[in-house]
Amino acid sequence: MAGLVLRHIEKTFGRTPVLHDVSLEAGDGEFVVLLGPSGCGKSTLLRIIAGLEPQTRGSVHIGGRCVDALPPSDRDIAMVFQHYALYPHLTVRENLAFGLKMRGKPKAVIQARIAETAALLEIHDLLDRKPRELSGGQQQRVAMGRAIVRKPRLFLFDEPLSNLDARLRTSMRVELKKLHRRLGTTMVYVTHDQAEAMTLGNTIAVMNHGRIQQIGRPDQIYHEPGNPFVAGFIGSPPMNMFEGSYRLHQRELEFRAGELTLRVPFQAHDLVGADSGIATLGIRPEDVTFEPPESRHVAVAGTIDLIENLGGDSIVYLVIQGQSLVARTSPVLRQHAGDSVTACMKNFHLFMNEIRIPWPSS
Amino acid sequence: MTKPLRPALIGGVLLAVLGSLCPFLWFVLTSFKSQIQVEAIPPTWWPDGSLGFYTSALSEHRLLYYIRNSVIVAGATTVIALVVATPAAYALARLRMAGKAWILGGLLCVAMFPHIVIAGPVWQILERLGGLNTHWGLVLPYVSLTLPLAVWVLTTFFHELPFELEEAARIDGCTTWQALYRIVLPLAAPGLFTATILTFIYAWNEFFFALLILTDPEHQTLPVGIALFQGEFTMPWGEIAAASVIATLPLIIIVLLFQRRIINGLSAGAVKG
Repeated sequence: MAGLVLRHIEKTFGRTPVLHDVSLEAGDGEFVVLLGPSGCGKSTLLRIIAGLEPQTRGSVHIGGRCVDALPPSDRDIAMVFQHYALYPHLTVRENLAFGLKMRGKPKAVIQARIAETAALLEIHDLLDRKPRELSGGQQQRVAMGRAIVRKPRLFLFDEPLSNLDARLRTSMRVELKKLHRRLGTTMVYVTHDQAEAMTLGNTIAVMNHGRIQQIGRPDQIYHEPGNPFVAGFIGSPPMNMFEGSYRLHQRELEFRAGELTLRVPFQAHDLVGADSGIATLGIRPEDVTFEPPESRHVAVAGTIDLIENLGGDSIVYLVIQGQSLVARTSPVLRQHAGDSVTACMKNFHLFMNEIRIPWPSS
Repeated sequence: MTKPLRPALIGGVLLAVLGSLCPFLWFVLTSFKSQIQVEAIPPTWWPDGSLGFYTSALSEHRLLYYIRNSVIVAGATTVIALVVATPAAYALARLRMAGKAWILGGLLCVAMFPHIVIAGPVWQILERLGGLNTHWGLVLPYVSLTLPLAVWVLTTFFHELPFELEEAARIDGCTTWQALYRIVLPLAAPGLFTATILTFIYAWNEFFFALLILTDPEHQTLPVGIALFQGEFTMPWGEIAAASVIATLPLIIIVLLFQRRIINGLSAGAVKG
């Protein structure tokens, strides 16, 4: 059964459209991440699912039931807010109990649920404290607890880790993943952090300008980005993109961008359309190496402009035939700035008219 | 802070405190004097601790009547003003609506009208309504005069409360009203205290409208009552001082009790909580 179905959701604030025809389906127990830059409409979409914001058009189904006419409290959802939104005047215990109490659950049930949740999140020591007496990480746990304790059908997370420091964020990410495995409940998670999206999601929906750009498994989104936006948004450092023109030869594609000419092995019949035209060619930094080229690689001579040593690996800024190219290599590169090197590239991504052209398997 | 500035600042503070306390101290001292001490020349500073003025203020000048009237008027004003201002301020803080700045600005303008400007119309309206020499006739203008301040204080407060809290409450199963009284009002308590106390103090101290509207001694409030202690040929300084002490005491107690909350209330919006 579908955990969450969104059908043709549109939203306008006044005259400003913020969501265009968003459709999404999440299976029961799935972890869906809405990923996109700030202002892309992902939080608005989450609030529409929650019922905090009415959609202009379209419908929301949770657990096979249309919830468009239901207020947030009747949608059987729980939400973890970016700033936690713990009730400051209530203790942790009262915070956890609040939703159950409002629903008229018996005291014994409430107590049992709180004990269960506190054990799961290891917050029993905090139960009698007020939120202001907790650290950021602890507040975060309590906020999760308040969602879990209700045992909803759907969890909604609005950038819940964005206020934590980097280390805590990483460890909470792991815990959240475990939590999802344990609860098996459908979760929708909004973030602008691609690392969170890649590690947490079974499914990622990349959004930009109020539209879903691509929906897919994390590896799909990474290896087969559907358009230049997704290609550039996922991956760090971002994918190298060259705008230029191509010409098809029998077994290769000749790509020109300014002074740069690349001859990429290619099967002409894979390309539907003209023999020549305008295109965008992308190469991930991690697909640029400095090892001796293999047959399918494309080797280009260049100079090193700058090396950023990150310890485990390094980011190398190159200039090849008048174009800049970023490479990510591991282990750390021995060369220095100014040295001449041969950059070997593989796994090219080709986009025409903003759409990915499937590459022959290489 | 630079060192030489410190003594100057402390001196300044002391001067301000003493300056504002001086009249108060003087009438506290006077209230405990005897009639002879009050009229003595040169004046005596230290009172002999007589309570004569208190008993005569209470018995001869009907002070208890005035206190009762003041409690009724100030209490009713405060309750009505707060009951009206709270939802109004909540709406102004939360609803997306056009002209919000104009409404708030308009309220501020109304609060700044000199009382004398509206005295005539207020009197005429009350005369038509039959509100002269009644308590409600005084409560009515008091409410309309204190509402702007109460709405402003509360609006600032509601504005400070993160909206996420109310959304969390709605997801937790609250209706808008439940979210208001279970989450918002407890958190806005310092603001409510501030608005309550400011309103109460205004209504308790107000003299001008009270003098204008209440000519019948049965209904007069403390400030007017005390002012009218003065007879045709007598000026009972001692009784006036004793009555003033009694009139001021409740305010001092309230303010001391809720000092911290008032400061929180007045500084809302200045510092991020």
